[in-house]
Order: sequence, then C-alpha cells, then structure tokens
Amino acid sequence: MTQTISSPALRDAAVDSPFRLLMRKAWKHRGFMAGFLVVSTVALIALLAPLLAPYDPYKQDLLARMARPVFLGGEWKHILGTDALGRDYLSRLIYGARVSLMIGLVAAAISAVIGTTLGVLGGYFGGKVDAVVMFLVSVRLALPATLVALAVVALFGGSLTVVITVLGLLLWDRFAVVLRSATMQVRQADYIAAAEVLGASLPRILWKDVLPNVMNALIVIMTLEMAHAIILEAALSFLGLGVQPPTPSWGLMISEGKEMLLFESWLITIPGIALFVLLLAINLLGDGIRDITAPEGRN
Amino acid sequence: MKLWKLPAVLLPLCLLSTGAHAGKADDTLNIAFSKELEHVDPYYNTAREGVLLGMSVWDGLLYRDPQSGKYVGNLATDWKWLNDTTLELNLRKGVKFHNGEAFDADDVVFTLNYVVDPANGTKSQPNTGWIASAEKVDQFTVRIHTKGPFPAALEYLAGPVIIHPNEYYAKVGQQGVATKPVGTGPYMITSVEPGKHFVLKRNPDYFAAAKPKAKIETVDIRTVPDTNTQMAELFNGDIDLAWGVPPDQAGKMKSMGKFQIINAPTMRVGYISLDAAGRTGEKNPMTNLKVRQAVNHAINRKGILEALMKGSSEEINSACAPVQFGCEQKVTSYAYDPAKAKALLAEAGYPKGFEIEFYAYRDKPLAEAMIGMLAEVGITAKLNYMQYAALREKRIKDGTPMAFMTWGSNSVADVSAITSAFFKMGGEDDARDKDVAALLDKGDTSVEDATRKEAYSKALSEIADKAYWVPLWTYSSNYVMGTDLDFAPTPDELIRFYAIGWK
Amino acid sequence: MFKYIMMKLGMAALVALTVSFISFLLLFMAGDPAISIAGESATHEVIEKVRHEYGFDRPLLVQYVEWCGKALTGDFGVSYYFKAPVSQMIAERLPVTMTVGGLGMGFALLLAIPMGVLAAAFPNTIIDRTALTVAVVGQAIPSFWFGLILIVIFSVQLGLVPASGTRTWTGYILPTIVLGYYATPAIMRLTRAGMLEVLSADYIRTARAKGLGWRVVMFKHALRNAIIPVVSLAAVQLGFMFGGSVVVETIFALHGAGFLAWESISRNDLPTMQALILIFSMFYIVFTFLADILNAWLDPRLRAA
Repeated sequence: MTQTISSPALRDAAVDSPFRLLMRKAWKHRGFMAGFLVVSTVALIALLAPLLAPYDPYKQDLLARMARPVFLGGEWKHILGTDALGRDYLSRLIYGARVSLMIGLVAAAISAVIGTTLGVLGGYFGGKVDAVVMFLVSVRLALPATLVALAVVALFGGSLTVVITVLGLLLWDRFAVVLRSATMQVRQADYIAAAEVLGASLPRILWKDVLPNVMNALIVIMTLEMAHAIILEAALSFLGLGVQPPTPSWGLMISEGKEMLLFESWLITIPGIALFVLLLAINLLGDGIRDITAPEGRN
Repeated sequence: MKLWKLPAVLLPLCLLSTGAHAGKADDTLNIAFSKELEHVDPYYNTAREGVLLGMSVWDGLLYRDPQSGKYVGNLATDWKWLNDTTLELNLRKGVKFHNGEAFDADDVVFTLNYVVDPANGTKSQPNTGWIASAEKVDQFTVRIHTKGPFPAALEYLAGPVIIHPNEYYAKVGQQGVATKPVGTGPYMITSVEPGKHFVLKRNPDYFAAAKPKAKIETVDIRTVPDTNTQMAELFNGDIDLAWGVPPDQAGKMKSMGKFQIINAPTMRVGYISLDAAGRTGEKNPMTNLKVRQAVNHAINRKGILEALMKGSSEEINSACAPVQFGCEQKVTSYAYDPAKAKALLAEAGYPKGFEIEFYAYRDKPLAEAMIGMLAEVGITAKLNYMQYAALREKRIKDGTPMAFMTWGSNSVADVSAITSAFFKMGGEDDARDKDVAALLDKGDTSVEDATRKEAYSKALSEIADKAYWVPLWTYSSNYVMGTDLDFAPTPDELIRFYAIGWK
Repeated sequence: MFKYIMMKLGMAALVALTVSFISFLLLFMAGDPAISIAGESATHEVIEKVRHEYGFDRPLLVQYVEWCGKALTGDFGVSYYFKAPVSQMIAERLPVTMTVGGLGMGFALLLAIPMGVLAAAFPNTIIDRTALTVAVVGQAIPSFWFGLILIVIFSVQLGLVPASGTRTWTGYILPTIVLGYYATPAIMRLTRAGMLEVLSADYIRTARAKGLGWRVVMFKHALRNAIIPVVSLAAVQLGFMFGGSVVVETIFALHGAGFLAWESISRNDLPTMQALILIFSMFYIVFTFLADILNAWLDPRLRAA
C-alpha cells in the first residue's frame, strides 16, 4: 500500500526546496498537524514529568483512597482523583506517558533496525537472499505475537527491559515487507546502476543511496509500529504480564482500575482516554507523513 | 452508516433472550468459582473450591459440627484409639455411592492406601501425610495406622479426607474420576467440564447422618475468574452468591441495597515469608535477624486493615490463626515504627536500604501498599506477581527472598495445619530452623493437649523472636447474595452448598 | 497453477516446521521441566527418575523429533496443571475461539466492505471522511479497554447482555464486536484503495460509457476485482484474531483457547502453552495458504502461472 518512493519529490527539488514543499504540505494537512501537536505535547509532558506532576506518583496515602476527580465532584487537591492506594492519578498519568512513549520508541527502533536490515537486503539482492527474508517474515507472522510476548514475559519476568526487548523482536515484520518492496523499486533506478558501475562498495550503496530513498516508508512504518508497541504493552500490562507495579503504566492503571469497574469507572476511563488519544495522534501522524511524502495525485 | 443501525437491530433481540434468569424459580443455585479447578478429586487439587466440592459430593469418616465444634460420626459411626498410632473405626451400614456401589471397609482401605502412596501423586500431602496405612478388620470395621502419634487425626478425618468408591476408582482411574466423580455426599456431580463448569444435583437417597439432605435441587457452578464479572453477573441475576468479594466492592454493593452482604471471619491468615535460611543466596539481607525485625516494624498492619481490608479482619502476631488449637498469642510483637525499622536496618549494615524481590499471588493492592511502606524505610521491594500454583512451585524449587502469602489451613482448626506445613523443613520452609521443626514435631506427635500446647507455644515464640515471618492479619470473607437466598456463613469459610436454601 | 500451489504448500510446510521448533524451544527456555512434573517435595532421585522416564536427558533434537511426531498425531502430552491430555482440553475450547473469531470476522467484513465501497464511490465527501474517521479511531482504541467500556454500558448499566460466558448466544455479541472492530480499519482501507484504483481503470470507464447502471458497475465489475487483495488480508487478519483472542476471552471470561493460553502461561503449564502457540500458528499458516490459493484462482494472471 505504501510503496512510496521519493523520486518525484527529487524532481520537484529543482523548482522548490523539498523541505519547504513538505512543510507547506504538512501545514495544510489537518490530520498531520493534529497528530503532531498531540504527540509532541505528550512527549513534552513525559520529558518534564518531574516538573509537571503535582505529587510523587509512588506516594501512597491510604486515608485518601479513590478520591474522585474534580469533574465528578472531587476536590482540586487531586484533579484526577486518587487510585486504590491513594496515589495521585494525574501524577501517575503523567509518569505513565514516559513508560508508554519509551516503550513505543525503543521497541519500534529495535524493530526498525531488524526489519530494515532484512528488508533492504532482501529487496536489493533478490533471489535466494530475498527468499530467506520472506521466509523469516512468514515465520514471524505465523507466531501469535500477543501469546509469544505473554509467554516470554512470564518466563523471564516482567520488567521494562524484557517488555521492550520482546516487543522489539516481534514487531519488525512490517518494516521488512515494506522496505523490501521500496528497495526493489529503488534498485531499478539509474543512479544505483551508476553507483555500481562506478565501483562503489556495497555497504556504501545501501547506506548512501538506498536507505535515504526508502526513508519515508521507514518513518511511516515507524509511527505505526510505535502505536502497535504501545497498545501491546498496555495489553500485556493489563493482563498482569507486562510492566510490574508500582511502575505507572497506562495499561497497568487500567488493569488496577478494573477492580472498581462497576463502581468507579473513571479509574479506567481516564488512562484509557489518554492511551486512545496518544494512539490516535500517532496514527494520524503516520498517515499524515505518508500523505505528505507521497507523490502528487495519490490519495 | 450501518454502525448506527446495528444496536437498534440487536438490542430488542437481547431483551428477549435475557431476563429469564435461573434461580429460585427453577430451584437452581448459580454460583461462580474464581479459580479454574485443576481436578475435581479433592486429593488432586489444593484449592478451596476443591474442598467445597469435596464436602458436597463426598463424605469423610467423621464430621465436625461447625456450631459446636464437636466431632460426630459420618461414614463411621464410632471410633476409638487402640494405642497411640492405631485408630479403629466402625463404619455405617447401608450407605450407597452415587453409582449404586455399596459402601464398606474396602472403600476406606482402598482410598487411604491409595492417597498415601507417593506413586499416585496426590497433591494434598499435609492432609494425608500422617497416615501410614489402613487395614480392614471386617466388612464394617477398619483400622488406621498413623506414622507416629497424631492427635489431630480426627480433625483431618472430619475434613479433607474423603472416601472414594474402590471398585469404581480402580476401574476408571484418576483420569476417569476427573470427569465422572462418584461419592456418597448430599450432591451428585452430573456434569463436569474440567476447570469450567460443574453441575450438582441433589442426591435424593442421601443417608444424612451428620450433614442434612440438600435443600436446593441443582447447583450450577461456573468459573468466572474476575471479581468484576462476578459482580456484574450478580447485578444481572446470573449468579446468586459470591464470596471473597473485596471490601471496596462489598461496601458499594451494600450501599445499593439490593443484596444481602455478610462479613464472616475465616481461618485464613496473611503473612510475609522471609528467606531467613538464605535459600535465594547466602548474602540475602533476610538472613539477618535485624533486617527481618526491621521489615516487621515497617509494615503498618493497622493502617492497611482500616483502609483496605475493613470487615472483621484482625492483626495477628503469631504465625497461625487465633482460632486454631495451640495458636499461642503471647509472643513477641513488632509495632509499626518506621524510625525503629530504619535504625535496625542501619545497625544491620544497610543504612541506605537495599533492593529485593517481592513475590505475591493475590491481593495486589495489599502487596503494593506494603511495598510502599517498605519503600518508606529504604527497602526497594520489586513486585513479582504470579499465579498461586506457579509461585508455590517457585518457592519450593528456588525459594523467594520475600513472599506475601496466605494460608487457610484447609479449615483445620489445629495449629499443626499451618506451622507444620511451613516450618518443618518442607518445600516452603524459608526458616529451616531445626529447633522449631523439632518443637513442632513434638507438638504434632504428642497426645496430651497440655504437652502439645507447650511445644507449639515454644515454637511459635521462637518463630516470632527470630522474625521468620511477618504475621499480618486474618482474613474475613464478604458474602454477597440475592435477597431470596437463605444462607449463614460459618467461620471455617466452607460454603456448605447443601445447607443453602431459599427464603 | 499446480506448480504454484505446490510451491506455496512447500513454503507453508517449511514455515510450520520452523514455528514448531520455536514453540518446542519455549519449553526449554523455562528451565528444567522434570522439576515441574515431579512436583513439590520431590527428592533428587525422583526428579532424576522423571527426567529419565520422560526422556529429558536425551539430545534436544531427538526430543524435538519425537514431540513433533506425536504432535502430528494430535498428541501434545499431558497438562501439568489439569493432568488431562492437552489435545482434549484444546479440542473442548477451540470451538468457542473459532466461533468468536468467525463472528468477529463476519462483523468486520459486513462493516468494512460496504464502508470501503461507499467511501470510494464518493471520495472526499462526508461519507468518505466518516469512513476514514471510523478507521482511524478504530485503530487507536485498545481492545481490552473497549471491551471493559462495553461491559459497563451494555451489561451493567443497560443490563442487555451478559457480562461473561456464553450460556446464551447473547454472550457472543460483545466479544464479536470487540474482536471484529479491530480488523475493520485495515479491511476498510484496503477495500477503499482497491475500489479507487479499479474505478479509475479503463474497463470500468468503458462499462460506464456503455451505459451500464452504477450499481452493476460498482458491485459486479469493480468490487469483484477490488475484493481480491481483501480476501488475503481477511485471511491474515483471521489468523491474527485467533492469536489475539487471548485478550478478548480473558475480559469476557469465554472459556476458549485464548483464555486457556493466558491461564496456562500464568501457571507455567508448558505443554499446553506450547501446543496452543503451535496451533494458533498453524491456523495462520493454513489461512494464508488458502488465501494464496483463492487469490490465484480469482486472479487470472496468477492462474496462468
């Protein structure tokens, strides 16, 4: 679907600087702007968590348990209320953004390295190399990701490192598939043939000529897989086999709030909405980047 | 567009199909187990749910009346100790198993000899480990030989030791029993989907000597692991009774005014087992007495009881349930005192505290609350939350530095049911204290009540002095049920399905 | 065609073999299975005996071949927890998973294809926007959260459907929606993209020019061609759905294979875990294989190959 190559953009470069062109397109793209704004806000919140959080997210107060948020008649002391152990919900939400973003970024980065390497190699060499790459992709796709992640976390214990590693090792398939076809198209281009004729070394060709031309595809997949990693972490934590408490993770907050689902449903609504908004924004950002960098005329 | 139409089409259909709830109208009690029971045979599971099925479907030789606490005959009519290690019992005549097989000495002898044979791999060692063998005297008389003097024998025979039909069991084996169990009890199991769904039907021919005949015709038990879902089903009338409802939820249910809520004490106690023996490593801080004392001082049990547990739960200082025989209460206690805890840690050489793995399998909020309290004194406890079976296996295999556990003593009101399970060098003994083990052994094998009391008292004092555990609290159970249900919980936390009726 | 099928079949078999090896290895990553089997308070000798009896002291590859051979005949060993044959337990629970998966896919297709077609027929209109919004929003809702919200609204507040279990068919409604909506965005987008592409193709223009009705062109000509990639996507998604059923089944307490998987994982029941991972993988492999064949059959270019 997203076999975008940037050669038309290169052609336009003669008329207008590609960067300015992109900026202009981005500015007009409402989805992209909305996604970009939200994601950068969340990133900022995550970075500045210690400054923004009104309380220590781990500090318990057993005498102030499950205080309701302001909009449900609670006090301003705890704007989003407190959880079952009297911890400030807003502070936990703010620190939770760190966990989600970090897992999303690092897991997607690991996946990107694995998937890109495989995809570019397969797409460039074709033949047997490509067959092996496609085989690996098939094997990976055949393994049920949620189950394997659950099993591995259960065997090795839940910690941030384990969760990130497992997700990183599981989410590379789309990178490989998309970059493989993108590379195949780039491979046909004249400048690659020229570089080969000029005797440029293979790593150099891959690094200098191929990679920059499949970058757009890479970024789009990166955002999608970030969202994927965040949603999977939340699901794992929700099932009790992800990040371990008392770490504030949004999935874990939903899991803990579930105890009072029938009576204090805001406990799951608040982190759920935060998760939803972040995922929505990342998806919009990804779609936006694809639209903006796509050649003219594509929808 | 169609998205909007969908609910409009589906909703009326749903209205038609719900509403006709089971319950009083068709004389069916719907209940939910929160744990997937691994095997219906009580000897092959260690779950409370298994004990409940055991009581309803099978019978023991004796029965302990929950009101008077006295032992009465059930499958046996009378019994006497021939000597310290031989108990002779006369059996009831005319009792029939659900499949028509007649009950006699062969069934008793077969069952007891079967469960004590390690080759058969029964799971509840504390319940039967004291039996050496059983012997048939005549068709209605048996003798049970114990491995040593074992005064608590009657308690076990009245509780978890149930009798299987020998011919049937020999024919279908353990795996056959898993799907088609047969007992003598007030209910017969008519359908088993392992771990999922059990249907009990009243046994119309029940001999009803110690236990009454069942009041309700059908008991339909499903596994609903999530408390919330159980609550939701109570709202909808899909289940009639839930127990072990967390206090927060029970409080909210009460305020709704549509349910009966009863809080009853149980024999279950909570504790933190500390790896004093250094099973997880010689350098484990828990091997240091001062650290263990510090941990004891760091936990604000009262705070947790008042804020999180509510009900009739109480603080405990001794490693047993206060209602159990021999549970010495006058032992060293450690008041909540974080400053003292910090001082003790500094004395022990941990002025800045340390990091440690903390294991738990239930009551996550309680575990987290305690972890928060440990953090206050500088101990960074990292929570590992596992399922009970997995945690137990881990504790037996490698031990755990700190584990928040609970124990219901299989509702056996004798201290041997808890201390002997954990301080006699068994798999879950984190103390490995030979003196304690010897004292407990003496208590377990003496016949004189006074001697036993003394031995247990010494052992429990030692356990408290050495701070092997952090004894936490007793649990109370919240029962939430529909208003038309007639049920009175007993302090042993055993729900006698046959005693439940409609108002 | 035959050659194509054989090639795909060979590939599927190779993938299946690799996957089986990976799921087999999981058992050994977890440490010594003999200790788990021997159970509590087992002495060293007993563990040794168990290790020998079960053949854990033999080379890994030998054990794998044996496990594979047994798995082919449907024998996955005995569950550590239930002490019952794994295959029997799975066979009891698979129908629930398959029902929910099938219903979920049906729901997704019924929702996504009409939406995709309409969006493509009226590009850049409010209809198109709505469809896109549904897709984007759908992608961003975590299914476990969505499930909980549905329970709160439909079974607790409105009391319309049971919160858990499948005693009546109404118990399937919420799980179907939760599982189905997850596949909706991808299918919808692909339908829309395919339709847009086909609609701009020459033969459609010719058909329109010939005066054929809009509906005939849309559904008889365009959709038929646009649907080909959707079929393979649906097959892939169905495979994912079975694997993803673990979350949905846990929330709604459906006693299906996904729930069994979660329970087995959290209680270290390795034989069950292994078998389930393998079986879910096989579903995926079979579905993608069937999709490839179907594709070849529908697509004349591939058929010729």
